[in-house]
Amino acid sequence: MIGYLIAAPFIGLLFMGIHRKAIARIQGRPGPPVWQEILHTLKFSFKETWVPRTASKPLYIGIVVIAIAIWVGALYIVMLGGSLLLLFGVYMVHKMVEHGVGLSPGSPYAKFGGVRSVISASSEIPLFAVVAGIYFFTGSLMISDIVQYQADNGPLLFSLFPAAIAMYIVILSKMHYGPFSIVEAKEIVSGYKTEHFGVWRAGLEISDAIKTFVLLMAFVLIFWGALSPVLLFIAMLIILISLSFVCALTPMLSPYDSVTVQLVTIVILVAWMAILGLIA
Amino acid sequence: MFELPTSSIGGEELFVLPFGDIVNYFTPYTGALFLFALIFTLICIFSKPEKQLDVAFGTDAIYAKDVTGKDLHFRRFMAIACGVATMGAVTSGDVFNFTLFVSMVGICIIGIVASVKNKHVLNAAFNYGIISMLATVPLFGGAAITLAATGTLSIWELSAIAPAMPGIAKALILVGVMGEGIAPFYAAKAELFRAPGAPYVIMIHVSSLLMFLRVVEIMLTV
Repeated sequence: MIGYLIAAPFIGLLFMGIHRKAIARIQGRPGPPVWQEILHTLKFSFKETWVPRTASKPLYIGIVVIAIAIWVGALYIVMLGGSLLLLFGVYMVHKMVEHGVGLSPGSPYAKFGGVRSVISASSEIPLFAVVAGIYFFTGSLMISDIVQYQADNGPLLFSLFPAAIAMYIVILSKMHYGPFSIVEAKEIVSGYKTEHFGVWRAGLEISDAIKTFVLLMAFVLIFWGALSPVLLFIAMLIILISLSFVCALTPMLSPYDSVTVQLVTIVILVAWMAILGLIA
Repeated sequence: MFELPTSSIGGEELFVLPFGDIVNYFTPYTGALFLFALIFTLICIFSKPEKQLDVAFGTDAIYAKDVTGKDLHFRRFMAIACGVATMGAVTSGDVFNFTLFVSMVGICIIGIVASVKNKHVLNAAFNYGIISMLATVPLFGGAAITLAATGTLSIWELSAIAPAMPGIAKALILVGVMGEGIAPFYAAKAELFRAPGAPYVIMIHVSSLLMFLRVVEIMLTV
């Protein structure tokens, strides 16, 4: 477990670097080296750091600690086969983190990033209907039980395809440079992270890295089942590259379009899930 | 004495906290939600609000909004009350207590927003207030239908005979929580964010989402 805890930030940062590289190559640019995000994080770790005078100090610092803590917790949940509901709980708490990071410094750019994070939360709430769908099919929300169910009945990717699409969209909405990445759009500088620099930024990068690792791993476990570490890594990489293709080929939506598209997509998927439930 | 019949939703039961015949319970799930609410409440207690900077359009000027004096004390009190109510809601072992805590969260949220002396924020507070008031009807209506249909509001007893809660009651409680929690309406009414005081504003978001996370667990359990 400790090994995974140490490896997850590095693999996550490497994934984020591969994501940037893949987007660049798809768009015909050379792109940065794949280890660029690791170098970024190391650079931020040794930069001069302070707290802006306008910031709410405990919130400004505490929220970075919370960001890392929740995703470390999520890593444990996935590794120990814990509750999927708790994993989605962490995902929702991450919204609060983005909100807190954005509002705490008092900067208008960071605030707009935080506000965009909050308004997009309304489009992700119906995801819990998808969780209910998984519970309906497998009889459990424990990831260990879901993995066992797939060992007995085959991957949920095929039998619960709409749920897989919904979770794919969840991961896509959290990827950098994606169509739903409105929280860190360039017109608001770096969005909610604008005023977090130095060590604080390094902390946020590490939490992002663990988040990327956890969400990709959870997707594979929930919709394909248990795999050996090498196959798991390859499966996560395949999903990542597919996400890079989507990010490279789609423009970033405006905030309200982003919410509308996610909301409509999720409603369609929930209806699809309901029909599957009625048939079953 | 108390054992949740299913551990496949929020994990194994860790311990129970009885207050007379009201028996709260902690699973890894409700325990984590409680912890989140506690951490953000502590942040509310110990944080001073930020000085929110705004650009004065058409000029090069920026101005800082300050939260001082009575306004600060009132909003901090409301945010702490909201956090305490959220902690109650996420650990409650009783549907009626859950709905009471949820409605208390709704009142506190309005309090946090409505004390800001800004016409845009007050307008948002007025709209939230209307939604919050309306939401109490389905919220308590759902609990009443459950009691009428099953004879109990204890999650312990309901989970033992699950699925016991009528579908219409679940739907009504869900609608009630969405209304009280406000979060789904942020997208339509984001003027609230003109209000300075990040630690207090964030409590609105925390309580809304944690209540939503809890109601999903209750819906699946009963």
